[in-house]
Amino acid sequence: MTWLFVAVLFTVATLFYVFYIPGRLFLGPEKTRAGYLRERKDAVYENLRDLNFEYQAGKVPEVDYQQMKSSLQDEAAAILAEIARLENNPSSQKGFRS
Amino acid sequence: MAELGSFTLLLALALSVYSFLAGLIALSFQKQKLATQPTSSKAPNLVPQSSGFGSLLRQSSERLSETARRAGIASFGAVLLASIILVVCAFQDNFSIAYIFHHSNRDLPGPYKFAVLWSGQEGSLLFWSLLLTGYAFVLRLRYKTDPRLFAYASVALAGVQIFFLSLLNFAAHPFAIMQGNLPADGSGLNPLLQYPEMVIHPPMLYLGYVGFTVPFAFALGALITKYPGEKWIHITRRWTMVTWGFLTCGIFLGAHWAYSVLGWGGYWGWDPVENASLMPWLTGTAFLHSVMMQEKRGMLKVWNMWLVFATFWLAILGTFLTRSGIISSVHAFAQSSIGDWFAWFLVLTLVVFLFFFVKNRKHLVSEHKLESLASRESSFLFNNLLFVLLCFTVLWGTWFPKISELVQGNKVTVGAPFYNRVAIPVALLLLILTAVGPLLAWRKTSLESLKRNFLWPTIGAVIVAIFLMITPESWGSVFGLKPWHDISYFYSLMAISLSVLVILTVASEFYRGGKVISKHTGQGTFASMVQLTHRNTRRYGGYIVHFGVVVVIIGLAGAAFNQDQEKEMGYGDRMSIGPYTLLCRSYTEDESPNYFSQWAMIDVFKNGKAIGSMTPVRRFYKASQQTSTIPDIRSTLNEDLYLVFEGVNQDNGHPIIKAHLNALVMWIWMGVWIMLIGTGLALVPNAQAPARAPVTARLERAQPAPVVTGD
Amino acid sequence: MLILCAVIFLIAGASDPASRFSDIGHHMMCICGCNQILLECNHVGCPASDGMRGELMAAVNRGDSDSLVEQAFVQKYGPTVLAAPTGKGFDRVAYIIPVIALILGFGLIVMVVRAWRNRPAPAIAGGLPPIRASELDQFREQARRETEL
Repeated sequence: MTWLFVAVLFTVATLFYVFYIPGRLFLGPEKTRAGYLRERKDAVYENLRDLNFEYQAGKVPEVDYQQMKSSLQDEAAAILAEIARLENNPSSQKGFRS
Repeated sequence: MAELGSFTLLLALALSVYSFLAGLIALSFQKQKLATQPTSSKAPNLVPQSSGFGSLLRQSSERLSETARRAGIASFGAVLLASIILVVCAFQDNFSIAYIFHHSNRDLPGPYKFAVLWSGQEGSLLFWSLLLTGYAFVLRLRYKTDPRLFAYASVALAGVQIFFLSLLNFAAHPFAIMQGNLPADGSGLNPLLQYPEMVIHPPMLYLGYVGFTVPFAFALGALITKYPGEKWIHITRRWTMVTWGFLTCGIFLGAHWAYSVLGWGGYWGWDPVENASLMPWLTGTAFLHSVMMQEKRGMLKVWNMWLVFATFWLAILGTFLTRSGIISSVHAFAQSSIGDWFAWFLVLTLVVFLFFFVKNRKHLVSEHKLESLASRESSFLFNNLLFVLLCFTVLWGTWFPKISELVQGNKVTVGAPFYNRVAIPVALLLLILTAVGPLLAWRKTSLESLKRNFLWPTIGAVIVAIFLMITPESWGSVFGLKPWHDISYFYSLMAISLSVLVILTVASEFYRGGKVISKHTGQGTFASMVQLTHRNTRRYGGYIVHFGVVVVIIGLAGAAFNQDQEKEMGYGDRMSIGPYTLLCRSYTEDESPNYFSQWAMIDVFKNGKAIGSMTPVRRFYKASQQTSTIPDIRSTLNEDLYLVFEGVNQDNGHPIIKAHLNALVMWIWMGVWIMLIGTGLALVPNAQAPARAPVTARLERAQPAPVVTGD
Repeated sequence: MLILCAVIFLIAGASDPASRFSDIGHHMMCICGCNQILLECNHVGCPASDGMRGELMAAVNRGDSDSLVEQAFVQKYGPTVLAAPTGKGFDRVAYIIPVIALILGFGLIVMVVRAWRNRPAPAIAGGLPPIRASELDQFREQARRETEL
């Protein structure tokens, strides 16, 4: 009959753990357009750094480098501009799931 | 004990059901609520303490979600307890439990009693559930990375948990009690499984199979929530890499086990069960590559979604194949009804995924454009095509006997010759891409850039190929390779020279990168390369994995040069194979509590010089009444000498010895170690470049509440 | 490479009996149920493989052609004795389908890449007034500064 005792004890402990939630819950940051853009910016920055690195390593010829750099910088600039606008004008910033 | 085991399994099922339902209800409430209220806060928001019905509803749905998460965590505890009970029962020789009776016996050594947990149908399903709830446990503990996405992933995982735990409770109960008289001793563990690697091979393989549920759960969550951006890919990346590492390790442990235990001299037989493990590995590998497209360029969103799903689905399909008996295989489990369960589960997951995919597919449209066919992007596309094609070929070959039976009324065998013919050319194309891909630039690559990056590696590879062709054959295995003699020699030469090409391109990546670092920091070349790896662990860890892969490929290419001989050997009899001469010194018999054994002692000479002796063994296990052979293997970089005690001539008692000379096998095992080291390195977090630190710090300050990257 | 493969297929081909035995033997299965290639079947006391090897050796020594040997084996043991589908009848489908899949896949990639090249530049600012060129230059400069090595 010890097994019954262990079973009851284990069940009670489990139920206590599951349903007894003291304190406040952690819900994390809400995802916004600006947050998403920052992720995008990080990705584009990463690509730019990679490109710079590969150029310095001698893998990319000058012409290709300049062309790709400027297209990546355009992309980054557009994202940065939008982030700046959203931060200056919070009313236009809507939640993603709205 | 058995009762407690059964109870904990039932409790685990109840907790999973609760976790699933409560999580689902909470999330659907939150979704409705979000649909009516725009949210604007960026800071971590804690439950607001305001009043009002809406807020009450919000609070209770969040509390409900939290109980769901905790129930999921607790389900791990319950399954863990059940597993511990089963193992304890195995150690106590509790043969009243049918599973223990069928898979253990009193004289079984300790570690194998532990392995009883995964050596049969019911136990291995329990073990599978343990790993699944274990992965889910870790995921649920790390929910702070992105609570909402993790809540969805947790619900998806709870759904999968319900399936496996229902299976355990209602179809394959590991704690079922023996009917009738209690037997005195169990019927023992299959002797083939009584080998040290067998204790770790299944856990590794299962960790790999089960682990792909996690990326799938995240993908499903991202699809359902229309998750903005590629962050979820970033979060799943490490999970996928860890899982991939386990699966790789599991597959090769299996191959090594087959090589050192089954005694047929090979390591891969294209058996359906082996194929089943290869398929998710192939799609998983494709996924590991294509995620880069999504992370860096926001492309291939739909494709990645499907790839994650396919990987998960194929892992389950593999289990289905192994356990349903639908396709005949040497190491399938006993035929049973659980095949139907798996079939329905496969259909169900497909339907659920398809439903959400069709519903939310518009969200997956990518924005970026591509400049040229000669670019890293398209090399990834071809890479993915070839991986998926390989996977398809394996799947096709595995199912073809069934298809043939349906169409022309008779089964056919689809064995090694089929795969060699179809898969090797595809694998060679893939090898070319392994060399070319990393050197192509993103967006577009000019001819000038191609020339700059490929000239020297290509010249190197051609030199090696010529060298292999003109060297004398007497140097052994791959030397003096004449590709026009046989197609397999041609494939080997291609594989080896392409491998050299990959090695040279990888080396040039390290060298060039190291030089840049060295220019900035003034460190030596080697220190710079170490630093380079540390700064971008994924890329350079990945290169090391590529290096490991080609070392494995070189090992596989050696198979074209294998030889074998078989001979009955009395005292003083000789046999020669390649440069080796074998001399039978003695043969005898032995007995231990678990088995009888017969073995021969063979002196080995290489080019006339004595280099040692070898003892191939054959065992007869008492409990299971089965025999197994334990080959003796003498490994060198060039070749393995592999001796098998095949049997005994009944008339004169002389042992029959089979000798295999297997070229380059050691390279395979070395390559796997390199692959695993590379995977480990890729998991290490990146070190920041010192020069950029102030800039990064400034940026961090400028951004409110950066998201925790706890992947 | 494919052409080279084909050429080698044509000119290759073992001729002496021992290598022919090994060649054919590696394309057949042991029929005892062990699912192993005939010449790799190693389990002790196999009821089938020894006899089969003997028959194969005899056939090769008689000088029977490969296809004749295979036919004889198929007649005696059924089609599953061959380790891979033949190149005849429905069996051919086994080889054709992967090739078709490869061709379709290549075609698909070429189409996808073409579609991507013709894609319009991504729209960035959603519902916000257009960004001035001078402002963009400033941000380009910022991006350049922040990604310098």
